[in-house]
Amino acid sequence: MLSRINSYALNGLSGYGVTVEVDIHRGLPSVEVVGLPDTAVKESRERVRSAIANSGYCFSPNRITVNLAPAHTKKGGSTFDLAIALGILCATEQIGTDENKTPLDAVSDYIFLGELSLSGEVRRINGVMPILISAQKSGKKIVIPLANANEAKYIRGAEVYAVSTLRDAVALVNGEGGAPIEKSDITLGGDIPFGEDLKYVKGQLLAKRALEIAAAGGHNILMIGPPGGGKTMLAKCIPSILPDMTEQEALETTKIHSVAGILDESVGIVASRPFRSPHHTTSRVALTGGGANAHPGEISFAHNGVLFLDELPEYPRSVLEILRQPLEDGVVSVSRASRTVEYPASFMLVASMNPCPCGYHGSAAHECTCTPAQIQKYASRISGPLLDRIDVQINVDEVQYSELTDGSVGESSSAVKARVDAARAVQTERYKNTPVHCNAKMPSAMIKKYCKLDGAGEKILAAAFDKLGMSARAYSRILKVARTIADLDGSADIAARHVSEAVMYRALDKETR
Amino acid sequence: MILSDAYLWLSYSHVGTGKINRLLDRMPIERLWDSFDDEGKYALDEPTFGKLKRTRNADFIERAKNYLRLNGIEYVTRADPAYPELVDQREVDPPPVLYYKGDIGLVRTDCIAVVGTRQATPYGRYAVDRIVTELAKSFTIVSGMATGIDGFAHEAALKAGGKTIAVLGSGLFEPSPASHLKLFDTISKHGLVLSEYTPEAHATPYTFPERNRIISGLSRGVLVVEAKAKSGSLITVKCALEQGRDVFAVPGDIDSPRSLGTNSLLRQGAAAVADADDIFGFYGIKRKKIAQNAPVELDFNETAVLNIIEAGESTFDAIAMASGLNTPDLCAAVSSLVLKGLVRERAKNVYCSARQTSGAAKGDL
Repeated sequence: MLSRINSYALNGLSGYGVTVEVDIHRGLPSVEVVGLPDTAVKESRERVRSAIANSGYCFSPNRITVNLAPAHTKKGGSTFDLAIALGILCATEQIGTDENKTPLDAVSDYIFLGELSLSGEVRRINGVMPILISAQKSGKKIVIPLANANEAKYIRGAEVYAVSTLRDAVALVNGEGGAPIEKSDITLGGDIPFGEDLKYVKGQLLAKRALEIAAAGGHNILMIGPPGGGKTMLAKCIPSILPDMTEQEALETTKIHSVAGILDESVGIVASRPFRSPHHTTSRVALTGGGANAHPGEISFAHNGVLFLDELPEYPRSVLEILRQPLEDGVVSVSRASRTVEYPASFMLVASMNPCPCGYHGSAAHECTCTPAQIQKYASRISGPLLDRIDVQINVDEVQYSELTDGSVGESSSAVKARVDAARAVQTERYKNTPVHCNAKMPSAMIKKYCKLDGAGEKILAAAFDKLGMSARAYSRILKVARTIADLDGSADIAARHVSEAVMYRALDKETR
Repeated sequence: MILSDAYLWLSYSHVGTGKINRLLDRMPIERLWDSFDDEGKYALDEPTFGKLKRTRNADFIERAKNYLRLNGIEYVTRADPAYPELVDQREVDPPPVLYYKGDIGLVRTDCIAVVGTRQATPYGRYAVDRIVTELAKSFTIVSGMATGIDGFAHEAALKAGGKTIAVLGSGLFEPSPASHLKLFDTISKHGLVLSEYTPEAHATPYTFPERNRIISGLSRGVLVVEAKAKSGSLITVKCALEQGRDVFAVPGDIDSPRSLGTNSLLRQGAAAVADADDIFGFYGIKRKKIAQNAPVELDFNETAVLNIIEAGESTFDAIAMASGLNTPDLCAAVSSLVLKGLVRERAKNVYCSARQTSGAAKGDL
């Protein structure tokens, strides 16, 4: 007998319906899974066999063929276990029929997702959120593992049931199930990962101000300084001063985290901006995404949040160069032989580096022991085009002992965040009806329109180019940063003082002299 | 035999300059050429004789001259009137031939050598910019085209529209360091690059100290900007003293390793230099008083910040503490002062005053 069960599979971040067909016919007992399954799917027959037996049902000693339709797409993962098990039970008429053995239609109203354990428990799976978003259009009821229940709370369009065992799922099909998962609103903000607060950073006034500007304009930022200067701590403060995510942003980021299985299931949503700091041994694929299944990488995990690259020159150059296109476009397209997937990757790049191999070049407190050639070589590990995409570059020097020990508490992150929020509000107003949403993303036409300088401002910029030996590529960067400073100041026009402050944040352009 | 060809013979023989000059003391160049086969064997040691004999060949010298001409390299020999007088002194140990690219007339102008460590600090760079920019208006700047102070000196002189001479420690085909190739090209177009070595000669550890005598030889005085306790620049100073040139040094922090050499020069009586005026004064050169720059207009914040910085160098955080300004205002003020040239960033986030010492401040002793 033949049975059909609905399930869902993922291609990148969008789901598509998969029908699990199970046919039982005479022959030597065996289970065959067809429809381009990968190893995890093929192994499901062993899990399904034990789960059925241990749930008190009978595993049919006949020849069983399982087809995952459409048969031409590759299927991976353990998502189909539950659907296959129910398919076998339906095909053997153990469930889904009334006492007269007439089939019930109930089973086709559901979409089943879940991995089975040998005991018949339903275990958590990856990618529930994007599947729910895609599947809600089908109008069917969706059954997910109880462990994934929190992800379903925020998808209003779908009726979702959570089950913890195979028996629960059978009960649902037989019309004895419980209530669907209650919906709730997304609580945005909330706890910041790492919990750093700017008020605990001693001194570093200039760096803190630079962070504020970077956060307010969505600018990428590079911190250059000796080891122990507090660069990492400063970077970890950034999520605490970034504006709260919108619901849309939270859902986008959650989708990616859900697919990758890095979502915190106790919350079920990424409600605060992610902070990702991949180590410098990270491979290219781990950073951009890829692999046989074209899974997302670190830059997508950092979508709508912060990607922190500590010790930037230590990353292989090939790894850094692939950041260029995502930094520009906000998406990364991962193409593999079998599929092409586009993952959003709109992140704020925060990087830190030492000025030279020993770390003390230009430091006031220590003597640098590097030769000019070494310094040159170290600096050249980061390409011009990448630096070009980093608007704010600052020097961070060691903090004096006296500053460390004095009891004063600086401004807290929440106070800075209030100013950042205000500046972002100005930008949202300015850029409404355009694809741009913050100063950093302005294309050159907009720079011309929104970054007009008065005479005094022009003069300062000219002096900066002359005196500090700035490069031409610094020009538009300075204008953008000046625009953000003016927004923070609540000023509609860019004044001279905004330009002269913006010049401060081009540490690499002006040679220290 | 033309005299200049004879000198070319000596240069191409690759016999050390010292040995050649000792030989020329005993035997004038014409006699050395003419009666080389008769007398040379007795007057010279064997390897030197061999080297000279191998190249004593009119054809060979003619080929060398063609080669130089084809490759755009010019030369002056001690027989030529263009040979720099200041180098043509016994104390300098003049090389038989100087190969060059550029304007040889520069060797007749007033020259000052600016030398220093290859591992320059930002302070050294600042000092070079500050002094050479002015100095280059009246003097030709001579240096060794090495990284660090030498390179900065050439660059500053070119940037100020002045003239500059680079004396290489290698042949003109092998300028080193490779990172200064572009500088080499610029100087050969707008100044003069000079070498006592035949064009294809490679740099060796001893050619650099050797050419230092020509750097000091060409110049009226030698300015050492930054030098470690043991530095190649101190060799230049030693040469300068032997040649009777003046020695100047830029004072540095008493605890900075890169200023140990210069500070010890000052202790031994070198003239301290903080501005180009100190050198002009030394030579009694009257310069047109530059019209005092129109007083820079400063707003209230800038004045306050400038006063703090002029009281002593200060970190950004310390200025914030002392001035009580909030960070945005302070950023704008400091940046504006830097752009107006009143303040400079001495090290990361450390600011100090950058005012030129005015005549009055120096005090007429």
